[in-house]
Amino acid sequence: MDALSAFFTVFTDLKLLSLVALGTFAGVYIGAIPGLSVTMAVSILISFTFSWDVHPAIALMIGIFMGGVYGGSRTAILLNIPGAPSAIATAMDGYPMAQRGEAGTAIGITTVMSFFGGFIGIIVLALAAPSVSQFALTFQPRDYMLLAILGILLVGSLSGESLVKGIFSGAFGILIGMVGMDPLTFTGRFTYDLPLMQSGISFIAVMIGMFGVSEALAQLHHLDTPAIKQKITRIVPSFGTIKKYLPLSLQTSTIGVIIGALPGTGGDIAALMAYDHAKRVTRKPSRPFGKGAIEGLVAPETANNAAVGGAFIPMMTLGIPGDAVTAIMIGALFIHGLNPGPMLMVEQPDMFWFIVGSLVVANFFMLIFGLTGIKLFTKVVEMPRAVLIPMIMLLSIVGAYATNNSITDVYWMLAFGVLGYFMRSYGYPLGPVILGVILSRLLDDNWRRAIISEREDLGRFFHGIVTSPLSLILFLAVIFIFFSQTPLWTRLKARLLPARNEEAR
Amino acid sequence: MKHLILGAVSALALTATGAMAQDYPSKEIAGIIQWGAGGSTDTVMRAVTPHAEEVLGGTVVMQNITGGVGAIALNQVAAGDADGYTLLMGAENPLLYKVMGLGQKDYSDFVPVNVLARGTPILVAGKDAPFDDYAGMLAYIKENPGELRFGSTGPGGLPSVVTAMINAVEGEQDVIFVPYDGDGPALTALQGGAIDVMPAVLGAAIEGIKAGAMKPLVVFEEEPVEALPDVPTALAANAGYDKYLPWGPFFGIFVKAGTPDDAVAKLTAAYKEAAEQPEFLDLMKNRGFTSLNLSGAEAQTFLDGWQSTTAWLMQDAGLTKSSPEEFGIAKPAE
Repeated sequence: MDALSAFFTVFTDLKLLSLVALGTFAGVYIGAIPGLSVTMAVSILISFTFSWDVHPAIALMIGIFMGGVYGGSRTAILLNIPGAPSAIATAMDGYPMAQRGEAGTAIGITTVMSFFGGFIGIIVLALAAPSVSQFALTFQPRDYMLLAILGILLVGSLSGESLVKGIFSGAFGILIGMVGMDPLTFTGRFTYDLPLMQSGISFIAVMIGMFGVSEALAQLHHLDTPAIKQKITRIVPSFGTIKKYLPLSLQTSTIGVIIGALPGTGGDIAALMAYDHAKRVTRKPSRPFGKGAIEGLVAPETANNAAVGGAFIPMMTLGIPGDAVTAIMIGALFIHGLNPGPMLMVEQPDMFWFIVGSLVVANFFMLIFGLTGIKLFTKVVEMPRAVLIPMIMLLSIVGAYATNNSITDVYWMLAFGVLGYFMRSYGYPLGPVILGVILSRLLDDNWRRAIISEREDLGRFFHGIVTSPLSLILFLAVIFIFFSQTPLWTRLKARLLPARNEEAR
Repeated sequence: MKHLILGAVSALALTATGAMAQDYPSKEIAGIIQWGAGGSTDTVMRAVTPHAEEVLGGTVVMQNITGGVGAIALNQVAAGDADGYTLLMGAENPLLYKVMGLGQKDYSDFVPVNVLARGTPILVAGKDAPFDDYAGMLAYIKENPGELRFGSTGPGGLPSVVTAMINAVEGEQDVIFVPYDGDGPALTALQGGAIDVMPAVLGAAIEGIKAGAMKPLVVFEEEPVEALPDVPTALAANAGYDKYLPWGPFFGIFVKAGTPDDAVAKLTAAYKEAAEQPEFLDLMKNRGFTSLNLSGAEAQTFLDGWQSTTAWLMQDAGLTKSSPEEFGIAKPAE
């Protein structure tokens, strides 16, 4: 009964309700601006809400978290610039839709699906948090390594026309991720003794440059073509549409919750994995992937919002952050006199149910704010390019600077923008570069942890993989996905399943 | 004529600086936090600063500038003006930069405003570890050389110092070191069984210990700690630790050397009062930190002593890149 009343605290208290609303609203816009991140907003809020009670402070932070994860999709769809790393996959099919004049539909689907994914995440958090966190703990370094390899294999999905160019881009991304002080031994790698290379290349700067500046440069080619008129007749998708994507969205939400719950992986990896999953299981997409497939929006958006609930799972049950934002929230709970850890659920179950309640409310507000004001937003795409291009440049510079308050990041961002423009012009996909940067550390650190733990003995390492069911499943998945991308598999499939192949055509 | 203008300008400049020092703080103060949002340093700084702002009657805008084990933030503040409008909010790491080859600057280029608190190192084991105490661990290592997995956080981190201490007192231990990004991720790995033992700061491990998710082996203190009174001290386990204790990571606030005395005095007074606030003291106690609240000469003595003990410990363990002698770091008195 106490749990129930704690759950409804937010619903019945007008002040808390409006704080969640305010947070969600601000979150949508913070998330939409590349470089202004939820992580940054929440850490500023720690000092700002210092003298408040714990409930209003947490309510505001949760609103920003939920709204911000969703907000990243806005600029991804409208401008091809993901507002946050977790919206990279959204741009791949969302932007083509906007170019067809369907930005309204794309935003509508994205909003409803984010809401759906958010709910799945919250439900899992509310009902199964302890068992999911126990499962997340069983991931050993070698399992994280296998997961990263699985992620690297997504290059096939993100490459577009040429797999070779995709692999090149991915490898380049991994290289970028390696630059800087090696985090495990503090030895400089690829730094050439330059102070500016020492702290590595900010991944946000790479992302903003590659997507933002290179997009602005590419747009310069089309200065004289008129902007696309957007149809905004039907924003809220019909029930039939939602029903059609229900099975897919359930699968991708599950991916989101699990990846979100794993400490060290978050919404960005979840969204990319979900996109790849959608591409793999959808036999007849509404349009080809990369050209404006609805499935390509549904998958990443359900997954990244489901990852929000997922990230709270280890935070609430073990005091272990599921991602960067929950790490700061743990700090906030400390400051407000709580002791996040395995005992929090036992000693203060109210806090758990309060957070679940706030997440539910934030999710509803996200739906409301997402579906309103779209008309105004789509005007952005209809703006004359002479206004739009400088605006993109300005946002990119501000965003790159704001992440670490570092002017070096702005230089990196501009350099990667120019590089991205040429890569684009020569048909090198940019998605794999970002994938490589994200996964570089995960792969590198965990491979070394895994092999060091086995006294640098490959035999023991493989023995470990074969004897652990989790590692074995991941290992087989890696082999299967790798194999399924080879020509051998295509030939084999054609011979074994001729009928099905015919149908798919 | 030329002289007259110059004189007028310098007189003007003098009055200007004079006025600035009098009115300190006349504008926003920037607080540069060396470590990421949500970490221990971040939490401590964000908890103490609002109290100091009240006393100071100004605002301190805090931002996290991470990277290079905190060196990026330190170098940035050191490169700025010594006007008291940029504070460095850091931890113990810079005192080892020189010997570890991580940078040419450390806290000797700064004036301490306040050394707020010190952490207690603790050795924790996974709940399934085949031993329950410190002696059991040493016996296990002896019987199974090269098998036990210790978590570490890179050279110069707390685990490397604690391990160097153990090796210095008990003799070289044959164990595997698995590197992690920080004690948070390493303690997660400990609970998942990826490592067996982790030298951590008490505050990071205490909730896990209370919940039975990990076993406390020994605290590196001279007296048992209030939060975990039953856990034996290192000194009780081996009198040899006497030479190194008390030792622990700490948090401090610094301004660049050469900052006007008036600004230093005002900041010192503000943070001194802030660090006495009961709310802040409670927070420190809950996280297992020992409140120090040192300023002025006391703080300097603390920093010098810490640097001497730790740098020479690392030197004797063969973990340094350059000898402390090169930088004039005195050998601790025997």
